[in-house]
Amino acid sequence: MASKVSLKGKRKAGKGSKGPEERSACKCFKEWSTWAMKKAKVITHYGFIPLIIIIGMNSEPKPQLYQLLSPV
Amino acid sequence: MGSSVSHAGAPPPSPAAAPTPPIPVGLAAALPPNPEVQGDAKGVSEKVDWLNLPCPVAFEEIQREALMSLKPELFEGLRFDFTKGINQTFALSHSVFMGSMEVPSQSSDIIKVPTAHYEFGANFLDPKMMLIGRILTDGRLNARVKCDLTDNLTLKINAQLTNEPHFSQGMFNFDYKGQDFRSQFQIGNNAFYGANYIQSVSPRLSLGSEVFWLGHQRKSGIGFAARYNTDKMVTTGQVASTGIVALSYVQKVSEKVSLASEFMYNHMTRDVTSSFGYDYILRQCRLRGKLDSNGVVAAFLEERLNMGVNLLLSAEVRRIDHSKKDYKFGFGMTVGE
Repeated sequence: MASKVSLKGKRKAGKGSKGPEERSACKCFKEWSTWAMKKAKVITHYGFIPLIIIIGMNSEPKPQLYQLLSPV
Repeated sequence: MGSSVSHAGAPPPSPAAAPTPPIPVGLAAALPPNPEVQGDAKGVSEKVDWLNLPCPVAFEEIQREALMSLKPELFEGLRFDFTKGINQTFALSHSVFMGSMEVPSQSSDIIKVPTAHYEFGANFLDPKMMLIGRILTDGRLNARVKCDLTDNLTLKINAQLTNEPHFSQGMFNFDYKGQDFRSQFQIGNNAFYGANYIQSVSPRLSLGSEVFWLGHQRKSGIGFAARYNTDKMVTTGQVASTGIVALSYVQKVSEKVSLASEFMYNHMTRDVTSSFGYDYILRQCRLRGKLDSNGVVAAFLEERLNMGVNLLLSAEVRRIDHSKKDYKFGFGMTVGE
């Protein structure tokens, strides 16, 4: 009984020695990608419409600034 | 939409609805031209060129004629849309809405909350790239990007971003169009992955299928669809592993009138719905109406008052249970293209 328990303990320790490095790499990647997605979401939320306006104001024929604001 | 049949069983992100006001498009423009008309001078037998089949309609749009007739954008309250074109490619839009929005509730009572919002939008429409952005007063952003990377490959992005955490949705679609097939690969938030493929099997028949995988809930599904169309009618059928069967039939009775019917069966909830609708496209107006087996009667009118000025009227009567009814009436105006 004691030998079985000690064998199980060794096997678990064997698996565990390889695990933490891979797991921390995975976790690092996940944390970075989550951080990047959050920043991308904020940037898109604030910057998408200004981006469209900038692209539109630079398209041909180039419109004037007053056309952006006037209702006519 | 075609893809919503497979997804309806699981709660994945839904693609953003079109924010621009509906443009009346006749059924004749929506259906592809009949390729056998050119060979009709010969007489009885028409030769089918099996190597030159037409490109089919995209998988999520196989039911578009039925959806155009049966699902107009009904609303309640006042709606005013103003689109100002600054350029051939660039336009700004302002939209005001005042009315009641329904809050989904567990009991059979309908809870309506009066709301009002102003929506500012910018559109950039290039032959190669389309950017549409709409932002509301409560901070929600609807963004749509469509970019032609090459002649056959298109990238589409749909996103709805909110200020509240965990409520934002986004979807990336990569579309590849071949000579007689279309394929699409989708990546969405909440680890949603989907792919679909549709192939023209004959000049009138196209068959397609789709698969999807929801990462967070470990759900997957597969669906099959078929579409048969002539220049007078379109019929589609869809079956999905989420237990949904959807059939639709649209008949173009004349140049101005088309009739549509739809049948949907949900095996999981044992829910059956069938609806009938009509679509009158006249010179000055477009009138759509529908009648449903859930006791819904609705009508939607767009009348062209002047060049660029449209009047909208929307009405819906819904039977909640044997004694209660819910009435919705909306009116509005659209100015600009």
